[in-house]
Amino acid sequence: MTLKSSVTTTTVGTNRVNFDPLLAIRDVVDGFSRRSLWMAFAIDQIQQRYRRSRIGFAWIIVSYLIFVGSISLFFGNFSDLAHRHFTAYVAINYAIFQFLMANISDGCAVFRSAKTWISSTPLPHSIHVFKSIARSLFVFVVCLIVAFIVLLVLGQKFSPVALLSIPAFIVLLINAVFIQITFGYAAARYRDVDYFMQSITRILFFTTPILWVRDEHMKTGLRLALSEFNPFTHALEIFSSPLLGELPDPKSWIIIGWLTIANCVIAICVAGVSHRRLAFWL
Amino acid sequence: MAILMDESTARTPPVDLGGAHQGAALIADKIGIVFPARGPVVHEAEITGDDRMVWTSRGRLKGIRALEDISFSLRQGDRLAIVGRNGSGKTTLLQVLAGILSPVSGQLTTTGRVTSLININLGIQPEATGHRNITLRGLAAGYSHKAIEAKRAEIMEFSELGEFLDLPLEAYSSGMRMRLTFSIATAFEPEILILDEWLSAGDVSFKKKATGRMREFVSKAGILVLASHSRKLIQDNCDTAIWLDNGRIREFGPAEQVVNAYEADQKQTKDDPGTLAGAA
Repeated sequence: MTLKSSVTTTTVGTNRVNFDPLLAIRDVVDGFSRRSLWMAFAIDQIQQRYRRSRIGFAWIIVSYLIFVGSISLFFGNFSDLAHRHFTAYVAINYAIFQFLMANISDGCAVFRSAKTWISSTPLPHSIHVFKSIARSLFVFVVCLIVAFIVLLVLGQKFSPVALLSIPAFIVLLINAVFIQITFGYAAARYRDVDYFMQSITRILFFTTPILWVRDEHMKTGLRLALSEFNPFTHALEIFSSPLLGELPDPKSWIIIGWLTIANCVIAICVAGVSHRRLAFWL
Repeated sequence: MAILMDESTARTPPVDLGGAHQGAALIADKIGIVFPARGPVVHEAEITGDDRMVWTSRGRLKGIRALEDISFSLRQGDRLAIVGRNGSGKTTLLQVLAGILSPVSGQLTTTGRVTSLININLGIQPEATGHRNITLRGLAAGYSHKAIEAKRAEIMEFSELGEFLDLPLEAYSSGMRMRLTFSIATAFEPEILILDEWLSAGDVSFKKKATGRMREFVSKAGILVLASHSRKLIQDNCDTAIWLDNGRIREFGPAEQVVNAYEADQKQTKDDPGTLAGAA
C-alpha cells in the first residue's frame, strides 16, 4: 500500500455555525499546501491556452510589445517625460496593471469556472484561487522579463532602489489571494458583481496613471481626486517607481498597507460566511 | 446491523473516534438539505401539494428540500446501498457523505479518507496525453506525485492502451478514454468509497476484466456506500440498504428486504397513474 493517509475525524454541519472564519483560514492553508495539484493544473491550462497557435507562449510577448509599442508611438509626446523614459514608464506600469486586473477578472470567475470541481470533490476552495494566481503570475513574469529587456535597450539604469519593488510585489501578490477569494465568493452568489467589475475595470485603465504621469497632474482637481482614490495608483507607485529609479511615495505604502489589512479582514469575513454555501450557489 | 436509528445513539457524537485507530466511520445525524430557490419566484398560493418546497412566511418560495432527517451510522466493514426513484435525494445524499455539500441542518462525522467516484472524469484534460492525465486525475483525487508514480505501471497495464498513453486523449476512441478513466479511478485503495452507480468500461472482454477489478476495488474499501438501481449489484455488494423517498428515509434494514419493499412499491406506482406526477 503506497497511500498513507492520516486518520482524521471531521464533523460538518451548519445548524450552529453560520459564520466560520476558522474554516476559511484552514481552507487557504490546506489549499496552499497542495501545491503540486494547483501548479500542475495551472501549467496545463497555460499550455492549453496557446496550444493550437503557431508561436504559442510568444503571443504573451507579442501582444505586450504591440501594446507598449503603440502607446509609446501615439502618446509619447503627451507627457513632459522624455520619450524614452515614457516608454519605460508605460512598459513597467502596463505589466503590473495587467497582472492586477487579471486577478480581479479571474477572481470573479474563479469558483464559477470550477463548478464541476466544487460539485464533485471536496477539495479546498482556495486551490482554484492559487491556480488562477499561478496562471496570471506566469504571464506577468514573462511580460516583466520583456519589460526589463526594453528598459535595458532604452538605456535605463537600475539603482539599488529597484530592490524595493520586491517587497512591493510580494504585498500585491498577497492581496491577489484576498481579492480573488472575496470576488470569487461574491460573484458566485451575485452574478452582478461580475458585470459591475467588468464595467469598472475599463474605467480603471484610464483613472490609473499608466498612460499619464501622476506628478504632472497633481494640481488638477477631478483627475487628482480620482487617481488618489484609486488603490491601483498606489499599487503601481510602490512597484513601478523603484524600478524607474525613484523612491516610492511613503503615503502609497501606508495606503497599500492598510488596504492589505482591510482586504484580509474582508476576505476572511466573506469566506467565513460563504464557504459552506458555495456548493449550493453554483 | 450497520444502521443505528436509535435516537440516543445517533445524537451523541462518539467521543473516542479521534484516539485509537478503529478504521473508517461515517455518522449522519439528522441531516437535512435545502437547496436555495433560483429563478422566477412563485407564490405559494399558485402551487399546492408538494411538501418538498419550503416557503417563507410571506408565501414566497425559499428553497427545495432535498433531504430531511437522515440519520445512520456506518463503521468499518459496512456496506450500504441507497435506493430510491429519480429525485428522491440519492445524489444529494452522496454529495453530503462525500463532503461536497455541507448539511443545512444536522451533522455528519467522517473518520477516514473519502473517495467519491461521483464524477470520474474530473480533472481529465482532453488536450493532455494519457500519461499526463494519469498524473492530473491522481492529483485531483488527492494523491501525491509519489503515490501516483507507484500506480502508473499498473494503470498502464490494465488499461491496455500501450503507446497511446503518449498521445493526447483527443486521439482516443471513446472506448479507450473510458478504459483509461476507469483504470485510474480504480487504481487507488479507498477507505470510504462513495459510488453513484457501478463503474464499467469497454467491450465484452474488457468488461469482464473490469468487473473483476471493480469487485476487488470495492472489497478493499473500509466502508462502501453505493447508490444503484440494480438489484443484483446491491445483493452482491451490500448488506444493508436505505430507501429514500422524497428526501426521507422510507425504510432501512437488510439489503434484501429493503430492495424487495422498494421494488414492490415501484410496481404498484406503475399501476397507479395518479401518483406518477410526484416523480421528479
